[in-house]
Amino acid sequence: MGIDRRTFIQLVTGGVVGSLFTPVIWKSLDDASIWSQNWPWIPRLKYGTITEQASVAKFGAAPCAEIVKSVGGSPYLTRGNAENEMSKGGVDPVSASGPQLMYSLSRVNGPMKKTAEGKYESISWEEAEKVLSEKLAAVKGKKGKLAVVSGDTTGTATEVLSGFAAGMGAECYLMPSEEQGAAVALSSMGGKGQIGYDLENSDFVLFVGADAMDSWGSVVRNQCVYSESRPTGEEIKTTYIYAGPFQNSTAAAADRWVPVAPGTGAIFCLGLAYHMLKAGASSSASDFADFKTLVMSRFSPDKVEKATGVAGTEMAAIAKRIMKSSAPVVVAGSEFAQGAGAADVIAASAVNMLLGRINKEGGMKILPELPKAVEAAAGRSELAAKDFVGYLAGIASGKVAAPAVMMSYEANPIYALPQNTALAQAVEKSGFLVSFSTYMDETASEADLIMPNPTCYERFEDAQTPYGVGAAMLAASAPVAEPLYNSKPTVDVVLGVASVLGIDLGYESADEVYQAKAEKAGADWDSLIEGAAYVSDSTESGSIKFAASVLSKAVTMPKGGEIALAPYSKLIIGTPTVAIPPLNVVAISKFELMGKDLMVQVNSKTAKKLGVSEGSKVKLAGAGGECAVRIHINEGVMNDVIAAPLGFGHTAWDAYSSGKGENISKLLTVGTESGTGISVWTSSFVSIA
Amino acid sequence: MEEKRTSKQCGGVLPFFIGVLASLIVGWWVFPQVIYSQKTQPIDFSHKVHVEGEGMDCESCHMFLEDGSFAGLPSNEQCAECHEDVLGETEAEEIYVTEYLQKGVEVPWLVYQYQPDNVYFSHKAHEGYECTDCHPDVGNSDTLPTYYENRISGYSKQTMKMWQCERCHAEVGTSNACYVCHK
Repeated sequence: MGIDRRTFIQLVTGGVVGSLFTPVIWKSLDDASIWSQNWPWIPRLKYGTITEQASVAKFGAAPCAEIVKSVGGSPYLTRGNAENEMSKGGVDPVSASGPQLMYSLSRVNGPMKKTAEGKYESISWEEAEKVLSEKLAAVKGKKGKLAVVSGDTTGTATEVLSGFAAGMGAECYLMPSEEQGAAVALSSMGGKGQIGYDLENSDFVLFVGADAMDSWGSVVRNQCVYSESRPTGEEIKTTYIYAGPFQNSTAAAADRWVPVAPGTGAIFCLGLAYHMLKAGASSSASDFADFKTLVMSRFSPDKVEKATGVAGTEMAAIAKRIMKSSAPVVVAGSEFAQGAGAADVIAASAVNMLLGRINKEGGMKILPELPKAVEAAAGRSELAAKDFVGYLAGIASGKVAAPAVMMSYEANPIYALPQNTALAQAVEKSGFLVSFSTYMDETASEADLIMPNPTCYERFEDAQTPYGVGAAMLAASAPVAEPLYNSKPTVDVVLGVASVLGIDLGYESADEVYQAKAEKAGADWDSLIEGAAYVSDSTESGSIKFAASVLSKAVTMPKGGEIALAPYSKLIIGTPTVAIPPLNVVAISKFELMGKDLMVQVNSKTAKKLGVSEGSKVKLAGAGGECAVRIHINEGVMNDVIAAPLGFGHTAWDAYSSGKGENISKLLTVGTESGTGISVWTSSFVSIA
Repeated sequence: MEEKRTSKQCGGVLPFFIGVLASLIVGWWVFPQVIYSQKTQPIDFSHKVHVEGEGMDCESCHMFLEDGSFAGLPSNEQCAECHEDVLGETEAEEIYVTEYLQKGVEVPWLVYQYQPDNVYFSHKAHEGYECTDCHPDVGNSDTLPTYYENRISGYSKQTMKMWQCERCHAEVGTSNACYVCHK
């Protein structure tokens, strides 16, 4: 019996038919489908012991005390630390994305240097530190050859950088913030220390410009204080009024919104002072008479109304309401947390002085600076008062020579500075730009050397007295996780390079610096890293004056008749240092970003005046540049004002933020505040090109 | 002509049935043995020694955490509470202490009921069932069962399939909506 073709086919057919009644095909198909779950590029969850550890997050604009949950040593979730006074248990929209930002696609994986072709190549830390040391050795002791900028206003890391800059004979600057104007204001008023506001004990808070719910001070803490003072279903303890050009988050949360033209916060405050003085308010300050003369002569209700848009009767009513309160406080600041200068804070302080609210519970506090850990470093207020924007404006105009080396820490100056096109070019004029950025941001993308700092979850970190809080305080944290990439804490890098260059900063490692800071402040290090904050109830003694001569020069009446730009900053859209976190993208309003088009907001009267309507695509032109935007009609914007969100228009980072909208910073116009000489950019005007 | 064709058919339809039979044998007897590879656990762990000898119960090592999540298998940290040094005389314990605990390496236990990441399983929600309704009854055993790994899918033979989950849910009246298990 031979096997011929027919037999073979019958055999195979039988085999195939038989296999249909076995699990071979069905199980193989099933297993193959399950196997497809295990392809190597499919992300895997990490399993392990779930742990919790306190941390101080520096992702947001202000430090946020958190509890970080980890699985198998990998952070995956965070929540506010209710035991820590610094952020009162809240967590801001950027810090909430902290674990996600730790695994961000934008992380710099290790030290890199730019090649002659303009590309980046990975190098070892030894080589990176050698390159940096050589560059710095060439400029040591040479004035103007090195500039250091830090975006971390609260960390002791900035003290290390400041001390290092001093040892190098160089200047250390902070990125623009509210703190600069406040530091100059306090200095002008003859005070020392740091201005704070005891919001939690106040019964009436007037925010002038300061967008406390989204950008001014410690936002998450402000929100918690607001929440505590207005418990659901219970009596409201504190009344809030917001005075500003746009119905932002603070205006929406306040009991009343008073539309006030952008950049006229000081005039508004002095307009209030006029009514208070008229009602008999007085002060023992040495220049009270000068102040009274100034206010009564130059800030009469009609003049104030013309400048701010607030009627005299309304101003009088607000002044009366404040004076009637038992614990009022007036807080002034920029609508977008930068560029307001000192005049607004001086003017608001003047109102607080007339109310007798300096260093009183629920009033304006003058807080002591915590002792320095690095002796050579500049004091906090001294550092805050330095004008980085003014320095770069000098470079841009050719009046100041560009530095041979610029070091950028926790800062993204190429993206975040006002009049952005010109000032970013000024940064790029540096002979050798070093970025310590954790992320491949706009500045890192232009840097000659990138030395990535680990995230705050992977390093020791601390935070002292965030601007705006009502008490001096300190929080600190130990690493929550092992470094994910080949990063190295900048403090360790700087200490090592300082040692090579013969500069003694007094420490050998970052944790030594932070522990010394805690010790000098009188705080218990172990308690700090377990999540508690050190809080001091002391205030600076000594009186302050009205700085009438400074106000006289610094406060000028606007010309009027122009379309003012009212930028605003929302934490959900990121910070000057951290771009939009991926989780936040879905929460961005369609009235701020439509597709890839930035939406700006005007009211219908202004829209009619400009000849635009809902959805119109227009080009806004300012002194420093142009932005293509779309119009959204919103009656929550005052007349002759265009409200526009900051935080968009990134050109680096990742798909979640790059190429979305425009960077409104391009439209901001930098000027100089008379009387103080610092740069200001809250009065920017635009036209439709 | 007809006779010739019959002779070339080699017994009529017999080859067909031979093919069917061979396929059934391969499919039902050979295939189930070939599809799984056999693996042994990295350490010859005795539950019996711990349960009978030391008076421990299941929850001593396989417990719920404070947040309701299930700890699963004990980590070195837990084991080290007793086994910081070698306590007994067994080779298995010596291997564990010297090769894993002292070197800071977690034991790569093979999990019989491992579920993929896309399945959200809550032990807390199934707390009312006996452990052995789903897991092998190893509590009183000196040895661990052989681990059968599917050569195609890479999963354990004992991994519960979706139809098993669905059947039980249907029997007890629990929702079988997708989101119940797939978040």
